[in-house]
Amino acid sequence: MILQALVGYYRRISLERSFGVAPRGFEVKEIPFIITISKEGQFLGIDDTRDNAGKKGARKYVVPKSVKKSVNIAANLLWGTPAYVFGMPKPDETKAPEKLTQRAEKQRQSFISKIRETFSEPVTDRGVAAVLHFLEGSERNKVFGHPLWPEIQETGANLSFKVMGENILACQSDAVAMAIDSANQEAIGGRLQPCLVMGELDVPSRLHAPIRGVRGAQSSGANIVSFNLNAFNSYGKEQGYNAPVGAKAEHAYTTALNLLLAKDSRQRIQVGDATTVFWAEQAHKMEEWFADFFGELPADQSEQDNEAVRTLFLAPRMGAPPLEDDYTRFFVLGLAPNASRIAVRFWYEGTVGEVARNIKQHFNDCSIVHGPKERDYLSIFRLLVSTAQLGKAENIQPLLAGEMMKSILNGTPYPATLLSSAIRRIRAEQSKNDANGKPLQNVTYPRACLIKGVLVRNARYYDTGEKEVGMSLDRENANAGYLLGRLFAVLEKAQERANPGINATIRDRYYGAASSTPLTAFPHLLKLKNHHISKLESRGEAVNLEKQIGEIMAGVKDFPALLNLQDQGKFAIGYYHQREEFFKKRDARDGEEDHE
Amino acid sequence: MSQRRSRPLLLKVWGQNACFTRPEMKVERVSYDVMTPSAARGILDAILWKPAIAWHITQIDVLKPIRWESVRRNEVGCVMSPRSNGFFVEKERQQRAGLFLRDVAYTVHAYFELVGGAGSADNVPKFEEMFARRIEKGQCFHRPYLGCREFAANFEPCIGKPPTPEPINKDLGWMLYDMHYGAEEPTPRFFRAFLEGGTLKVPPFDSEEVRG
Repeated sequence: MILQALVGYYRRISLERSFGVAPRGFEVKEIPFIITISKEGQFLGIDDTRDNAGKKGARKYVVPKSVKKSVNIAANLLWGTPAYVFGMPKPDETKAPEKLTQRAEKQRQSFISKIRETFSEPVTDRGVAAVLHFLEGSERNKVFGHPLWPEIQETGANLSFKVMGENILACQSDAVAMAIDSANQEAIGGRLQPCLVMGELDVPSRLHAPIRGVRGAQSSGANIVSFNLNAFNSYGKEQGYNAPVGAKAEHAYTTALNLLLAKDSRQRIQVGDATTVFWAEQAHKMEEWFADFFGELPADQSEQDNEAVRTLFLAPRMGAPPLEDDYTRFFVLGLAPNASRIAVRFWYEGTVGEVARNIKQHFNDCSIVHGPKERDYLSIFRLLVSTAQLGKAENIQPLLAGEMMKSILNGTPYPATLLSSAIRRIRAEQSKNDANGKPLQNVTYPRACLIKGVLVRNARYYDTGEKEVGMSLDRENANAGYLLGRLFAVLEKAQERANPGINATIRDRYYGAASSTPLTAFPHLLKLKNHHISKLESRGEAVNLEKQIGEIMAGVKDFPALLNLQDQGKFAIGYYHQREEFFKKRDARDGEEDHE
Repeated sequence: MSQRRSRPLLLKVWGQNACFTRPEMKVERVSYDVMTPSAARGILDAILWKPAIAWHITQIDVLKPIRWESVRRNEVGCVMSPRSNGFFVEKERQQRAGLFLRDVAYTVHAYFELVGGAGSADNVPKFEEMFARRIEKGQCFHRPYLGCREFAANFEPCIGKPPTPEPINKDLGWMLYDMHYGAEEPTPRFFRAFLEGGTLKVPPFDSEEVRG
């Protein structure tokens, strides 16, 4: 399933963009420095391919696939670090210089013998012959006098060769491709076995190309298919022979996955600790939109003009066919590192239509009344970050993000921890002030969205028969939590009106108690209320507030001793709704005054 | 000539979790979507196996939606060798992630065949009856499991009309059928698996559709 889908993606992109996708035996790699030599192997110069003096990375080239190395010495074919190419190690203060030089010399020898082994004597390819001539003679010493050299040695950046007058690198010629192919055939020489991805007979890959770009994994890459300890072997088989993935399929899936995970990829997002990639069976706009739904929006893009959300909701109105009817298959793969291996955290396989429908459902479940300055639909990242300490992305609970994404894609109830972490944040921030000492809201718009979403979804999924919380204030809702939340908002309002410009309201001290153990908090709060209302100058306002309190209290039989988590959620929503109602009234009043 | 092949036999199995590990993702385990024929054979072997018979799976019905669960746990990363002095488990810990199936139920359709080990006293009805008695009583040689030993399987006879499968249609790609032991070394065999209306049709092991 996963590998098959990736192989399918490889086929698609190799048709769509013929270069940038490496052929078999090659890979795409950044090469910052290119050494130009003449046909006779004389040194001519060094090209710096980096943009912006190395800040943004270097140009990418298709080069022979790198060899796996850990501590051993193994050279890549016709490209490598200064240590391999020239025997000049990257300076390292922690190691003895003689040892470094000795090792580098061995690396240099291996670089040359790798070339000699791959090509039969005499070397007929002009480019390769020139490189050999250059490397084995004294000509190479001229490089060290080049002004770029100190920087090259310092950074240990990759080097490759180009012969003057050619428009490809020396390692990109057909002769090199053929040599690599035949070397592979010889090296494998193994039995043909059906490939478990494609089903065709092929030689199984012993080691798979590393996957780079999974956050937290080794920078040199890690593997999905890997049997790196003997406990993982079966039937006396070694490494890749435990799972016969043919060389073709291996090349296809690793190339596709590396492309999806590449630095500049638009099809990769970080969801908690899982690096997540997504793709469609055929080129589809959803590939661009998906990141907008789930990812962090770029700073210069406002969510108001989020094209993805707009299309999702407005497509029918604009005459475009609704996304929900689209049967293009869509895949989401979440990867997490685990000790030089990569584990699959989650895997989703569906159609664009299903994805669109489920995401739309999510936005509908979460939408709630809000102030005019807030956006109608908040990105999932904005929602999750509201449950995190200090509102920082790194404080989002690692598993929560992935679970949330899974439940959105599958249309299942949100993770249970979502409700508790939103409520925990609300209580923790009941008495928070901003930089000017003015109190900050604790039941914020994103948190209200989340809590409402959880409640609505649970009610639908488990069919509890209870009245759902709605978009805005619901005077019919008789749930004790919801009513007490409303009551608390009115009591706070009475206090604010009695002491205009007050810094700390009852919320600072009583929100937690009122929402979890109403019996201990409300009798006291009602006593305070009498005091506040008696202070009001306007009799009309006092009567009005008393009327509202009376209306709400009519539904409350007793103050419950305890509210469970669900009801605490409803408390928060009731409080939020009632407050929004006050704002709405005031806005309407302000509007009228403007007209006069 | 006496009959060599049993009538079609049905068995319902279910469990809380299951992991029918894909060979390519068996270190950081990822399960197949559906029970594999070899896992089904393992369950039947656990309930009734004699040298006289060999089980063949013909069909697997999926009775519950395919649901996933991601778990990380501690395992051991090395194997004991007779030449070593043993190893210290705490030093050989390996954290391994797994993407397992959750809340599964299947109907296994199978038959058995008399093979070389059958003596003169063995005949097909004898084993058919034995199988029926054993599943009725819940007897087994070892606890049957859903892909991995830790996911114990419950089983019960399937009497009357078999339960209706979930309406799932899905291309499952190449799936492990079973190991083939005839060659010089054991080799896996694969078949192209499709789920049609919640039913996985399993071709005979020696048919052309099975590669390996």
